[in-house]
Amino acid sequence: MATTLTHVKTAEVRQTRLGDWRKIFLWVAVIFVLFIAVYPFFWSVITSFKQQKDALIPSLIPWVQFEPTLFNWQQEFGVGGAETFKALKNSSLIAIGATIVATTLGTTVGYGLARFRYGVGNRNLVSWFLSQRFLPPIVTVIPFKIFYGRVGLIDSIPGMILVNATFVLPFAVLIMRDFFAEFPKELEEAALVDGANHRQVFLRVALPVAGPSLVAATLICFAFAWNEFLFASQLTTLNAKPYTLLVSGLDSVRGIMFNFVSTRMLITVTVPIVLSLFVQRYIVRGLTFGAVKG
Amino acid sequence: MKSRAKYYFLLPGVIWVLVFTIFPLIYSLYLSFTNARLGRPTEFRGLDNYGRIFTDSRVQDTVIMTLFVVIGSLVLTMLIGTFVAWLFNHDIPGINRLRAIMTMPLFAAPIAVGYLGVIIFNETHGPVNNLIMALGGQPVQWVVNPWGARFSVLITDVWQWTPFVFIVALAAMQSVPEELVEAARLDTDSAWVIFRHITFPLIAPALGTVALLRMVETLKILDIPFTLTGGGPGTASQTFSYYVFQRGLRDFELGYASAMSYLLVIICSVIAGIYFWRVRARFD
Repeated sequence: MATTLTHVKTAEVRQTRLGDWRKIFLWVAVIFVLFIAVYPFFWSVITSFKQQKDALIPSLIPWVQFEPTLFNWQQEFGVGGAETFKALKNSSLIAIGATIVATTLGTTVGYGLARFRYGVGNRNLVSWFLSQRFLPPIVTVIPFKIFYGRVGLIDSIPGMILVNATFVLPFAVLIMRDFFAEFPKELEEAALVDGANHRQVFLRVALPVAGPSLVAATLICFAFAWNEFLFASQLTTLNAKPYTLLVSGLDSVRGIMFNFVSTRMLITVTVPIVLSLFVQRYIVRGLTFGAVKG
Repeated sequence: MKSRAKYYFLLPGVIWVLVFTIFPLIYSLYLSFTNARLGRPTEFRGLDNYGRIFTDSRVQDTVIMTLFVVIGSLVLTMLIGTFVAWLFNHDIPGINRLRAIMTMPLFAAPIAVGYLGVIIFNETHGPVNNLIMALGGQPVQWVVNPWGARFSVLITDVWQWTPFVFIVALAAMQSVPEELVEAARLDTDSAWVIFRHITFPLIAPALGTVALLRMVETLKILDIPFTLTGGGPGTASQTFSYYVFQRGLRDFELGYASAMSYLLVIICSVIAGIYFWRVRARFD
């Protein structure tokens, strides 16, 4: 009896010890992974507070290893502020405009695809709307450049809104269709029986409950429009230049002024990253086009 | 009335896609059969441009570079992403916050990520070479050496996209029924055996989906080499999309560039076809 007890006990002890080691390994690995994901951002934050001479030295700790400076940020927003603010304003206008167009179209299309049956097959229609996200953008940039040149849309905010709305439309269609497809339609049917038409039902019954999904679609569309570079580089020259172009304009200083590069890079990535924190629930579904539920 | 109303919901979206996606696509196909070039009259040239693609030695180099990134990134992001998802799928407190941190690279503009790479891979002062030297290795010539440059593009792409595989694999793993894993634990202590025979078969469809998406995304890769290496040294790290960009938008050979881009369209369409054929049942 006694021997079996000790036997059981040692087995238990061994198991918890093994469990402890596993836990330690797990935590070390998790921290290592997070470190790799975050370190490049961290390094640029540090570099953005360095003077140019320190930017070339591998040092991490401000005040101890190097004298921190606000110079780069002052340059970006103070001395060179006009250019910066203009580009940020353009980026915002383009992204907001594209988002409004895309979510408006995406909501009506998404509602239609979730509530009605169409002759060509709803699955084919949804695939058709989503599939343009698979197109290499390099294919359509040449036609756009030619047409914009002809109709005078080069270097205009409306022109940039049109192309970006087209790129982010699939996200809006997907998120809104998913929402309406999962939302019970009894309420809407009751309203139809009461004599409301489809437009009224959509605007007064369906739309008011779609708020959270609409916000998610808005933020995701905004983030991707904000990040667009290829079309911006070809269709804008001066007045409508978004911030991504300002970043790429650092070409001439490649490998020299890391402190400036870091500052601009951080400004570009901050906006979409902050937005992404609010749409975590939708990311998996949105980026896999509904194939995997997050 | 009822039968007409449903088309009004769809019509604006359909028209939008026809005008801004389908029409440019058709126009680009037309261009690909011409010698269109800025500042000279356009003539119809049939399949000349397509024939030229196969004799252009630069195409060969860029295709090799593109395949290197596509295959390398596919293999690495899938393996690392799945492993990291497995790590995070262990009752870790605050998992949602950690997951949000991991998704940060996904939302950074690729153009900016390219610059992040410039900083990180700097030969004399970047943290990567500092680490290698601290570990007693020789600093890698990320800029001067062709394979150094190619690997810097690959590693940067892997860094940005591993989180994508991670969040999808994690979502799939979290939907694996707990009882199945518990039952398997009675038979084996090996985490590998449980992963191989229980978890993996259940998450395989999600992984397949991600693999197809990763392939399309990397085939189009342009932004990262654009800022990170500028395609260099020479043209060593120039991807296919980048070459099309150069031919069409810097040399203004619109016809030839359109023909090359159409090859990419065909490949992407095939992958998109497989993708939607697999998942479209969910869209009904």
